[in-house]
Amino acid sequence: MLLMGSNTTEAHPIIANRMKKAVKSGLKIIVIDPRKIDMVKVAHRHLQINVGTDIALINAFIRVILQEGLFNKPFIEKVTLDFDKLKEQVEPFTPEYAAAITGVPAEDIVATAREYAASSGSMIAYTLGITEHHCGVNNVFDIANLALLTGNIGKPGSGIMPLRGQNNVQGAGDMGCLPNQLAGAMSLTNDEFRARYEKEWNVTLNPIAGDTQTRTFDRIETGDLKALYIIGENPLLADVHMNHTRTIFGELDLLVVQDIFLTETAKVADVVLPARSWGEVEGTYTNTDRRIQRVRKAVEPHPNTKEDWEILCELSSLMGYPMQYRNSEEIWDEVRRLAWEMYGGISYDRLDNEYSIHYPCPDENHPGTFIMHERFHQEEQTKKAPFVPVDYTEPMELPDKDYPFILTTGRRYESYNTHTQTRHYAAGVKIKQKEETIDIHPDDAQHLGITNGEVVQVRSRRGELRVKAKVTEQVVPGLVFMSFHWHETPTNVLTLNEYDPISGTAEYKACAVTIEKLAN
Amino acid sequence: MAEPNFVKTICGYCGTGCGLVLEVQDNKIVKIRGDKEAPVNKGQTCVKGAFAFEYVHANTRLTSPLLKKAGKLVEATWEEAYQFIASRLTEIKSTWGPNAISMFACARSTNESNFVTQKFMRTVIGSNNIDGCNRT
Repeated sequence: MLLMGSNTTEAHPIIANRMKKAVKSGLKIIVIDPRKIDMVKVAHRHLQINVGTDIALINAFIRVILQEGLFNKPFIEKVTLDFDKLKEQVEPFTPEYAAAITGVPAEDIVATAREYAASSGSMIAYTLGITEHHCGVNNVFDIANLALLTGNIGKPGSGIMPLRGQNNVQGAGDMGCLPNQLAGAMSLTNDEFRARYEKEWNVTLNPIAGDTQTRTFDRIETGDLKALYIIGENPLLADVHMNHTRTIFGELDLLVVQDIFLTETAKVADVVLPARSWGEVEGTYTNTDRRIQRVRKAVEPHPNTKEDWEILCELSSLMGYPMQYRNSEEIWDEVRRLAWEMYGGISYDRLDNEYSIHYPCPDENHPGTFIMHERFHQEEQTKKAPFVPVDYTEPMELPDKDYPFILTTGRRYESYNTHTQTRHYAAGVKIKQKEETIDIHPDDAQHLGITNGEVVQVRSRRGELRVKAKVTEQVVPGLVFMSFHWHETPTNVLTLNEYDPISGTAEYKACAVTIEKLAN
Repeated sequence: MAEPNFVKTICGYCGTGCGLVLEVQDNKIVKIRGDKEAPVNKGQTCVKGAFAFEYVHANTRLTSPLLKKAGKLVEATWEEAYQFIASRLTEIKSTWGPNAISMFACARSTNESNFVTQKFMRTVIGSNNIDGCNRT
C-alpha cells in the first residue's frame, strides 16, 4: 500500500490501527510524506518527498513500470483509453530526474514502482496531502493512472482509497450539496434526472451548475453575491488567507449562520440560528467507504434549538414553498425514491438490523456494493476509463531569501478542525497538545537560535502571527508545520489563496514564510 | 440519579464512521465506548471519539436566535429571525436574482439535513449555488 499525504495516526486513528494490524499479517506500507509521521514506524519504506512534488514521483513510477514491462497489458487493452498519451507524458521522468525534483533517491523510486506493480494486490490511500495543492486534481488523476496501469482497481486488496475528513463529507456531497449534482450523484445538467426531481418537487429546476465555495468568495469580492447562508461551518478560521476572508464577509448584504456555537464566523453574521448537535438528532451518515449508518438521538436538546432540516422547512414554508416532514426517516425515504439506484434498498429497518450498507444498493434484496468498479474485471467493457496524463508543476509560492521556509499545514491528534467542539473534553482526560506550535527541525532551530517552547514571529506575504516553536525531527530542514485548530493562533492568516482550477481546493500544503527570533 | 441508558450511534468526527455506545444519565452523555458490533472499528475508539463529547452540554451552546441590531448581535425570537431572513432573502432574490444567493452546507450534519438543505436552495431560492467543505 502506498500511503500518500495521509497522517493517518492523527487524522484517522482507527484506520491507522487497522493498517498497523494488517502490517502484522504481511501488508507492506510505503509512506510517501514530507514529514516523518508516526506511520513511518510501521512502514516498509519512507519516501520523504519534497512538498508538492507528487506528480514527478508518480510519473517516474509509471515510467519505471513501462520500461520494465510490469504493466497489466490485457487490462489496459480491455478497459482503458489513451495509453500512448500516458507513455509520452512520463517519458522525461527518469528516476534520476524525479529524484532531483522530489528529493527521493532514484533507487527508492525504482524499488517502490517495482513493488507496487509486482504485488498480488496494491492499494493507494491518500488524504489532503494529495488534494490541498494547486494541482490537487492532477495529483488524483496521476494516482488513478498508476492504478489503471497495473489493474489495481475493482478487486479485493486493490483500489484507491481517499480517507475523508468529516463524518459526513461524503454524504453531504452525495445528497446534492454540490453545485453540479442532485442527490445520488446525479448530474444536474442531465434532463432526465432533473425531470425526476421536478416531478417529485413540483418545481422547474435551474439547469445551470452553481458556484463552488471558491467561486462564491470571488463573487462576493466583485459584488455579485449578496447573501450567504452558512450551516455548521467556520470558514473564517478554516479558509486560506484569513484577513482577506474577513474583509469580504463585510461586503455581504446578508450573512446567515446556523451553528451550535458562536464561532468566529457567527460573530460577524447578521443573524445566527441555534442548531442541534450530534447526540441530539436522528438520521444517517455516509462514511469514507460509502457505508450508510444510523445516527441516533441520545439526549433531549435545549427546547429553543432546532434541527437543521426543521429550520429549513419552516423557512421554506414561510417563503411560499411548504416543506413538511414528520421525521428524518420520511426525508430518507424521499431520497430512496429519487435516487433509488444508490439508496433504494437502504431502509432504516435494514440499517437497524444490518448496521451498515454500502451504496449503491438499488433494492431491498441487494446486499450493497462493497467493492466499486468490479466491472473492470468482468464482462465486455461498454465504458472505458481513459488515462489522464499530467505534468508536474511546482508549488505556487516557493521559498526565497525573504521567506526561506516552506510552511505546510495539517491536523493534530486531539483536536478537530477549528476546535469548537474538541475544546470540550471530558474531565480528567490528559491532553498533550493544548496550543498551536510551529514544528521546526533542530538544525533550523539551532541556526535561528531558537529553543523548544520559545515564542517566535512567523510572517508570510499575507499576514503574521506569534507562536511557540516545537523542535522536532518530524520535519526536514527548510520545512515547518502548523495546524489551524486554535483561533488564538490563526494559521490561515499565513496561507496562500491559490486554488486548483478544477476543484477550487486551496493550496494549504505549501506557502513561504520567514521565522524570526523575538528580541528579549 | 436515574439508571443509565445506552444509545448506539456513529461518531461525529472524522470520516471513518466508528460505531459508538453512548451511556446517558439524567439527559447527559456520561461515557462513550466503542461498539464491539460495529463493522468499522470493532470496539475501538480514538481520543476524540471517546472523550471529546462535552461540547454537547457546554454552557456556551447557542440557545436563542441572534439578530444584529445597531452592530451588535442580540437575542431574538425564532419568529423574528425567520421573518428577517425570509424578507431579506426574498428582497435580494427579486432585486438581484437567485444567483446573488449562496449556501454552504454542513459536512458534519446528517444526510437527511443535507438533502433538505439542497432542496431548499434549489426549490425556494432557485439557485444551484450550494457547496460544502469538500474542497478544504
